[in-house]
Amino acid sequence: MNVAVICLEGVKLRLGGEVLLDVARFELPRASCTILSGKNGAGKTTLLKIAAGLQRPDEASVQTDTGDFDWRGARPMLRRHSIYMHQHAYMFDLNVGDNVAYGLRKAGVPAAQRIERVRTALAWAGLADLEGRSARHLSGGERQRLALARARVLSPALLLLDEPTTNMDDEARQQSFFLIRRMVSEGTGIVIASHDRQMIGQLGDQHVHLADGALTSVDNASKPSRPRASGAAVQNAAEGP
Amino acid sequence: MGEILGASADALVLLFSWEPALWDIIGISFGVSLRAILVCAPVAIVVAFLLTIGRFPGRRALVSMFNSLMAVPAVVVGLTVYLLLSRSGPMGDLKLLFTQTAMIIGQMVLAFPLLVAMSHAALQGAEKSAWETAITLGANPWQAMLTVMREVRFGLIAAVIAGFARIIAEVGCSMMVGGNILGVTRNIPTAIALETSKGEFVQGIALGMVLLFLALFLNFVLSFMQGKGELT
Repeated sequence: MNVAVICLEGVKLRLGGEVLLDVARFELPRASCTILSGKNGAGKTTLLKIAAGLQRPDEASVQTDTGDFDWRGARPMLRRHSIYMHQHAYMFDLNVGDNVAYGLRKAGVPAAQRIERVRTALAWAGLADLEGRSARHLSGGERQRLALARARVLSPALLLLDEPTTNMDDEARQQSFFLIRRMVSEGTGIVIASHDRQMIGQLGDQHVHLADGALTSVDNASKPSRPRASGAAVQNAAEGP
Repeated sequence: MGEILGASADALVLLFSWEPALWDIIGISFGVSLRAILVCAPVAIVVAFLLTIGRFPGRRALVSMFNSLMAVPAVVVGLTVYLLLSRSGPMGDLKLLFTQTAMIIGQMVLAFPLLVAMSHAALQGAEKSAWETAITLGANPWQAMLTVMREVRFGLIAAVIAGFARIIAEVGCSMMVGGNILGVTRNIPTAIALETSKGEFVQGIALGMVLLFLALFLNFVLSFMQGKGELT
């Protein structure tokens, strides 16, 4: 099953008695890049983890073109179709090639096919020469590209990136942008939690802003506005007064 | 002093003369403790993992309990297991008292809290992102658990070695539940205690040398492992 669109609805999460998230609708379309902005502590990471099936919300439902599910029921589907990448991508204590092969092994891909796909993914990320090197000894930019290759090799419907260009120099950032754009053009839906204005300008097909637990879509002039009537990526949970 | 040196020299001769009775004792020691650690360690590591990743009421109390249980003296564990296995005890019908199985049970009880506490400390050092990355890349929870364990393998191996070092050298529990029966339940520590009480120092020193060598070797391996687990 390959979903065209995943949509979270009615995402509510309280932490320590405070409302962290109260998002009415968060649409995650394929072949499109959505930028998710918001202050530190606004709940961007948590929202991405909920979308990836990694963190349980108090309430949420998941809408796909195959039907509606509550979050718990949808969790296996969310995990199957989406990949979440941490701000500082975690690298297993393995070499570069084995890091890329990790998901393929878990999916039971036969060895010969796995080797071929790993090589292709590493070439795609410009890391072909580093296949045998320890993943822990890569530079920040190389780690980021490796993490992208490790995700891409699994052909996810959705890739959720948490501040992917933090502490990167401009060259490394441009390389990451290039790979992200390629993945979008290949049909992957990408959501990026970021403050990076350059990224917002260069990559974002949609831009949504998380504040006080609610999402608002942001127009081209980068001002928060009310959500669009149809096809909007998000709808403000706090609609009304 | 000369007497001690003489006895030590005799002990070395005894060790390398491959005296079957002596090597029987060494074999029993290793056999019992290895079986105890092999049964105990996987369960303890999984318990430690659940304590690390789980969010359930009483989790912190359980962690504190395992940390506290490390301090229980071997002789108290021995007494408890003895009472449980003795003929009038609740498990008396199993007729396990003064058998190697009783010694294995006692040593498992001794090692379990240490294994859980040390494994928990090692697993706490793993990053949560390791678990999440494994899951998001398609691992099921069982596979993700094994991945996280692999990431902190040096700490876990250190826990197992420390657990083994604790039980191979303990005397109180083995003496009480094993009964120190020659060829059956007499291990290195109980034999040393017996030989020393008889004034037969040569065999005691020979067995002490084996234990000492083992302790130094295990500590060397331990520090080597911890060195390998350096920050990257």
